[in-house]
Amino acid sequence: MTFVQKYLAWGAGVLALLIALIVALPSGKARGFDVSGFGTLPILEGGRVKPLDSLARNSLLAIHSRQGFRHEGRLVGPDEWILDVLFRPQVADQQPIFVIDDPEVISLVGAKQTKNRNYFSFADLSTHLDEVQKQAASAQPIAPQKRTRFQSAIVNLFDRVYLYYKLRNTLQLAGSPGLGWELQSLGTPEAALRHQDLTQLAHFRMLPPTTAANPDAWLSVGQALAGVQSGAGVHPGLVPLAKLNAAYIANDAASFNTALAEMNGVVTTLKPDALGHASNELVFNRAQPFFVGLSIYFVAFLVLCVSWIYKPELLRPTAYALLLSGAIVHTIGLAARVILQGRPPVTNLYSSAVFVGWGAVILGLIVERMYRKGFGTAVAAAAGFASLIVAQNLGTEGDTMEMMRAVLDSNFWLATHVVTITIGYSGTFLAGSIAIAYALKKHISAKPDPETDKALADMAYGIICFALFFSFVGTVLGGIWADQSWGRFWGWDPKENGALLIVLWNAIILHARMAGYVRERGTMVMAIFGNVITALSWFGVNMLGVGLHSYGFMDKAFVALTSFCVSQLVFMAICYAPARFWVEKPRSRS
Amino acid sequence: MIKAYASRAWGFLKSFQLTIVLLALLMCLVLFCTLAQVEMGTQGAVDAYMRSFIVWNQPLLLRLPFPGGALVGLLLTLNLLAKTIDIKLSWQKSGMWLVHAGLVVLFAGEFVAGMMQVDTNLSIEVGQTVNFVQSYKQMELAVIDVTDPTWDEVYSVPDTRLAKGGAVAIPGTPITLNVKKFYANAELSNQGPGAPPSLATAGIGAGVSVEERPVVSADNEINQTSAFVEPIAGGRSYGTWLVSVALGAPQSFTHEGRTYTLAMRLRRQYLPYAFTLKQFRHDVYPGTEIPKNFSSLVQVVNPSRNESREVLIYMNQPLRYEGKTFYQASFGKNDTLSILSVVENPGWLLPYVSCVLVSLGLLVHFAIVLRRSLKRRQDKKEG
Repeated sequence: MTFVQKYLAWGAGVLALLIALIVALPSGKARGFDVSGFGTLPILEGGRVKPLDSLARNSLLAIHSRQGFRHEGRLVGPDEWILDVLFRPQVADQQPIFVIDDPEVISLVGAKQTKNRNYFSFADLSTHLDEVQKQAASAQPIAPQKRTRFQSAIVNLFDRVYLYYKLRNTLQLAGSPGLGWELQSLGTPEAALRHQDLTQLAHFRMLPPTTAANPDAWLSVGQALAGVQSGAGVHPGLVPLAKLNAAYIANDAASFNTALAEMNGVVTTLKPDALGHASNELVFNRAQPFFVGLSIYFVAFLVLCVSWIYKPELLRPTAYALLLSGAIVHTIGLAARVILQGRPPVTNLYSSAVFVGWGAVILGLIVERMYRKGFGTAVAAAAGFASLIVAQNLGTEGDTMEMMRAVLDSNFWLATHVVTITIGYSGTFLAGSIAIAYALKKHISAKPDPETDKALADMAYGIICFALFFSFVGTVLGGIWADQSWGRFWGWDPKENGALLIVLWNAIILHARMAGYVRERGTMVMAIFGNVITALSWFGVNMLGVGLHSYGFMDKAFVALTSFCVSQLVFMAICYAPARFWVEKPRSRS
Repeated sequence: MIKAYASRAWGFLKSFQLTIVLLALLMCLVLFCTLAQVEMGTQGAVDAYMRSFIVWNQPLLLRLPFPGGALVGLLLTLNLLAKTIDIKLSWQKSGMWLVHAGLVVLFAGEFVAGMMQVDTNLSIEVGQTVNFVQSYKQMELAVIDVTDPTWDEVYSVPDTRLAKGGAVAIPGTPITLNVKKFYANAELSNQGPGAPPSLATAGIGAGVSVEERPVVSADNEINQTSAFVEPIAGGRSYGTWLVSVALGAPQSFTHEGRTYTLAMRLRRQYLPYAFTLKQFRHDVYPGTEIPKNFSSLVQVVNPSRNESREVLIYMNQPLRYEGKTFYQASFGKNDTLSILSVVENPGWLLPYVSCVLVSLGLLVHFAIVLRRSLKRRQDKKEG
């Protein structure tokens, strides 16, 4: 590798990091309003304090399945959208943000399916809300795994509409003149009723606790207004909030930004750490490290594929440098989550996908350093990309930093059992991916290359040993956790069984290889099947809907999982294809 | 001749083929057991697949008989033992030796748990004192001498004995129970007009029809175990009574001035100590319904040890006491009832020992392998 090549390769890596940095920089004000400053305000929702921006992004993801949308020729971001929903519902109601895919639901709301994705505004849906609610109410008692497609879709639509409805009635009742008016018209019986409605519909609590004695007692606007009525005094946050409300409605950006500074002052006085913590989380949200990471992995993979046919001396190191910068972004994102949440890296299905990808990429980087064949890079980039795609899809269901339910509320076990078992998943997937690369290479490359084959087989073998160690230790640690919390070491619970299957399969591979029943190719076929077993125990058991571990049921994922398993079986067949498919020329001539 | 057979058997026992076949069978069993849980419940599926020697009627593979978990586990243990003995005692193999010895311990632990573990529960309301644990599924017919208002004398007949029918003498009393009919699970209803007369001649059972139902095993279902019994004492019959889990109120009869009540109930085990629930807490995250913690503050009173102390039992923090372990499991009645699950497993330490052995073994082995391969590389470079 010449100096210039080296320079170019690392330059590409640095460029990728620069792009990641640019994404994290704050965007400008929208129409003069400091919307991201508003998004930084801390709120209490889902049991934890977070910036309003996190709620806006997760709500928009749930409703729209994206974190932003184009409307009237302009890109509307989550912070601007939530401002409209909270303070100008009449504007937000017109924005077509509700995605509906199910044709039966579309006809129920009186429309025709026009394209693949169909978007509706709240105003479009408002005349059919009664019907949506009626249908959803009849589908809700049915267990999620037994619902028909229509029933699932209608319940899903209802949940999203209800979320939106609650949001637009959290800081002021939609259609009322606003919070300032509410503060002036205290004391009437109608006002008390309105406060009750506001309290009931509030989706989050925005006013920090006023007494140090009760640090979790955040108030919703409805609760604070009712408090004024009952003589508890005006919460110091209500006035600046009313000013923000009035300024936003009046389209007066300057007064809005002044009122925001005032609100920040109130929050800082009442809850000194909350604003700093919220703004850190806002930076994390904006940077979207996992989305940026998966994009870099994708480019790295493409560059590496090209390197096999064009300028390998330049492109292979470039791909490696790109993979490295992707891994840096991925690692920073993972570390940021750990710091923000104050928890070990894996707390739910979403974070397990992020972590499995991370583990596979780090292992792949090490393998590439050791063998320098480009396969480590290819496999790591593909595995990192795929698992982050899975994570992106799992992350649309709400807050990914949700609070841990009672049994899971143990940082010690989350750090030991969950992390080790997830590293075991990473290893098994990486070994399987290497085996797929091996199979494809055997068929595609024209001339036999036993040296590379041997290197790939050694990589896969080493990683299977690694995976066996981690999945075994992780499984036993899980048993010990279960013994501590449920009173039995082993209960044959589906998730435990899934983990056991991975251990057994890896053990079978190693024993079969040791006894000489399988050689290079057989080991590889078995390693690919490891992918099927891991995917099934990772996601499949969540679909069974039984057992103590079934805290995340997903129905959409069923199709994805089935197709993944089928694809792996196809790869096994390709890998196992008879010798005459392996080389282009007949054997006799070689 | 015999030597040849023995050596062949030994060769078979320690063979890799056997290991691989058994591991593969175990994988199939684990898969069957997992899928079967949807219908049968965890306990039912584990009993059918894992705790049996032969699975006669597995649904996934043409209903052919399939070796059960106990058989596979036993063979795997033998295979493992043979292997462990067979591994040469050398430093090179020390890691593998530790791993396999650790696995033997792990299997032993699972066998002990399978054979000897007793799962019960203790449900207790705030302020209440309870001195017994009860079974989740198994029943007993309790004959209770309630003559003394301060002291109940309890005699009980397990459901397994009732199922055999016939006469059951109650030790310590003059009573013999004649079991006329036993239902492992039944449905009770008020007797409609024209229905055949009930077997019962005394108590509430005379107006009730009993219909047999298939036995259920799912985790959230319970068998309505019922029976018709005739207490005989001093040569005199006190009529035939219907006893059932489905019947709430106890029924009683009097013999020679002593009053006995009859009750079919979940099987109880009385303890030489008692728990009083002083406080139950169900904490949630602020502004949500998401549970953060459950905890029970209990007063443990044990006269035999002259002990009376407070213990807080909460998530991931059980109480280990007198061979039993008490875990916070559930709650009810508007957070005034706490349910502790109680496990008695003499082998609970074995998995911990195994975990240490196997982890250590794998580390040692990988270290040895790594050293060997580094040395090989070094030699290659030098050579």
